[in-house]
Amino acid sequence: MNYVSSLPIIAIITPFIGAFLIGAISSNKKLLPAMKGIAIVSSLVSLVSLLFLTKPILLEGKVATYWLGNWMPQEQMAIGIGLEVDSFGLFTGLIITFSSFLSSIYSVTYMKEDNALDKYYTLFLLLLGSMIGFVLTGDLFNMYVMLEIMTFAAISLTAFRNNIYKSLEAGFKYIVIGSLGSTLILLGTVLIYAQTATLNMAQISALIHNNYTPVTILALAFMMAGYGVKAFLVPCHTWPPDAHMSAPSSVSMLLSGVMSKTGIYGFVRLLYMIFFSVGMAKMELLIILWGTLTMIVGASMAIIQTDFKRLLAFSSVSQIGYIIVAFGVGLSSKSSIGVLGTLGGLYHMINHASFKCLLFMCAGAVLHATGTTDITKLGGLSKKMPYTTILFLIAAFSISGLPPFNGFVSKWMIYQATYEAGYAPVTIIALIVSVFTLAYMMKLAQSVFFGELPKKLEEVKEVPLTMSITMGVFALACLVEGLFPKIISKYLLEPAAYSIYNLHNYIDVMFTKGFAEKMFKNKIPIPNMTYEMAGYWRPEAWFVLFIVILIGFIIGVGISLNFVKKNNIDTTCNFGDKYGVFTGGEKEEFAPIAGGDLFWGLRHNLKGYFGFLEKAHSGVVNDYVTWVISCTAVLSIYLFAVL
Amino acid sequence: MLINYIGAFIVMILGLYIMMSKKNLIKIVIGMSLVDSGLNLLLVSVGFRPGGTAPIFITDLKPGAFFVDPVPQALTLTSIVIGACVSALALSLIIKIQEKYGTIDADKVRRLRG
Repeated sequence: MNYVSSLPIIAIITPFIGAFLIGAISSNKKLLPAMKGIAIVSSLVSLVSLLFLTKPILLEGKVATYWLGNWMPQEQMAIGIGLEVDSFGLFTGLIITFSSFLSSIYSVTYMKEDNALDKYYTLFLLLLGSMIGFVLTGDLFNMYVMLEIMTFAAISLTAFRNNIYKSLEAGFKYIVIGSLGSTLILLGTVLIYAQTATLNMAQISALIHNNYTPVTILALAFMMAGYGVKAFLVPCHTWPPDAHMSAPSSVSMLLSGVMSKTGIYGFVRLLYMIFFSVGMAKMELLIILWGTLTMIVGASMAIIQTDFKRLLAFSSVSQIGYIIVAFGVGLSSKSSIGVLGTLGGLYHMINHASFKCLLFMCAGAVLHATGTTDITKLGGLSKKMPYTTILFLIAAFSISGLPPFNGFVSKWMIYQATYEAGYAPVTIIALIVSVFTLAYMMKLAQSVFFGELPKKLEEVKEVPLTMSITMGVFALACLVEGLFPKIISKYLLEPAAYSIYNLHNYIDVMFTKGFAEKMFKNKIPIPNMTYEMAGYWRPEAWFVLFIVILIGFIIGVGISLNFVKKNNIDTTCNFGDKYGVFTGGEKEEFAPIAGGDLFWGLRHNLKGYFGFLEKAHSGVVNDYVTWVISCTAVLSIYLFAVL
Repeated sequence: MLINYIGAFIVMILGLYIMMSKKNLIKIVIGMSLVDSGLNLLLVSVGFRPGGTAPIFITDLKPGAFFVDPVPQALTLTSIVIGACVSALALSLIIKIQEKYGTIDADKVRRLRG
């Protein structure tokens, strides 16, 4: 079902042309409004051209193609670079363009105080264009080039405020780890090319289907580690906390909410298309274990952070773990459970994009209003910024999976899928991590938006209208995705899941029709989403969830309160002298509860574990390189052992 | 041409070793370039065919002559350009780090940790 269209190339090329236009007029500082206009219009054009593609691709199930320079395939061999857009690519592309469009509006006000804005908008559009190019292309080397442009623009944007020391350090660490990841991906691409003599993904998929040689296994290990760096899976997760905390918030929302999706896109393409490994139990186990590790480490690190944006970055790491676990379950040989996992993963992708963008926008609003993101210096902002507080709470409830917000639906599907696939321990870990998510979000809310207002922040005002409108759109998205899972699923998730599992459409576009049926005989049907799958109207399941969360919460708070009680007895004994009235009372009354950290008791009681993790993230770039390389080594050994 | 592959992988492993062990930031960038160079060698070796001629269409081709694979050569060019960009950006960041931190020792450039 081929569908030739030039809309994909328009979506890719418009941001690039916009970037060069801005570069061309950048010498004239009076044209700054025009540059902002170009940035917004280019991202809008990309969004609209992808929206035009939704009807043929998502609804009718076609695959759009565009051969660059009209180099059509000859005798079943691809010569040119082809753009091939299937439902999954379009799905990721829609997330990217939608968030980037809102980010471009947000940055107009947010970046007002900075200079060198021409360079900012140029890099912004390069980032946008390369992300779209990455998800729409059907060529392996083109993916690498787009990835490299993306990394390059992201690094420059991370180091954009180069008068701040942390931007430079984060930029350097990002470039070392990021280019190591890209190198691994290119190495994998080269090895695949050496085996198949082609770079077209459909052709590669047909050629190395169930046909593993040592070279392709090595390529798989390298590419998995490389995309692990891009999607920040533990232990390759060391660059995002630095980069996301130092970049301007309008960029960190793209890095965290959207660029991580491109890493996951690469991962899914690798596992489900290039190496079609559905039904391989060993691979399923590896991916689920990897995702679980990512989930645990991300949440544990998030709970001990004291910087608003760094905490959010670690929480992203943990949420990516959920998505990877879901796609790991998707590899299951029992197709009905696998499809449920994939649907949950896709749903969590779109949900993570909406609430993480919103959270970073809230962090940006706080930074814009107060000038700091250090949560020990903030407090009581709910009186001054009520709108931001409400939006932050919506996002916090979404990310911790409380009904009726969107995180609940996708997390519920992931719990269900992991449980039914026979990974009950993973389900329990996922639930506990979810409680931890709620804990660190409440810690953030308590120390930033509630509690006592410091004297310095008396003059704080609510953020301007353009910023709050874009934030409101994301909050609305969180609510809609939570309340109407059937509609989202019918129009976005099910076509995407169908295209992930049923590759014959994608491959038939390259070869003659019916070619792929030799390999992929049985079509995997995608069930329609029901409210039962989404967890609504299932009282007994709700009850179990409630009890688990309650127990988790009691354990968490119990640990803290025990410690507080002990400590209080000690202090009263020490200050029971006659000067106690001068040293004690006054300060107690105005001190915020538990200082900047609601869960300091928990942190103190488990200080062995948290101290180990904190020490492991040593900040030395050599250590991080060693982690990535050991991850590659472990992956190669495992894959050679099982395949 | 097994020796080409072995050589390329040795260059890459040396580069990775430098990235893991050397504390000077400039040396880390040199390690990155070394990995890139090894990768480029590997790429060119993949396209090499013993006895093949340059992949240019000319009229007086001898019968039975064949080309080396041109695609990896194009890929290598792209990869070289990207590698040069990455090195330039990394080195310019090091200059700025030297201005702010007063050192380019990886053990001291670690204010973001934990």
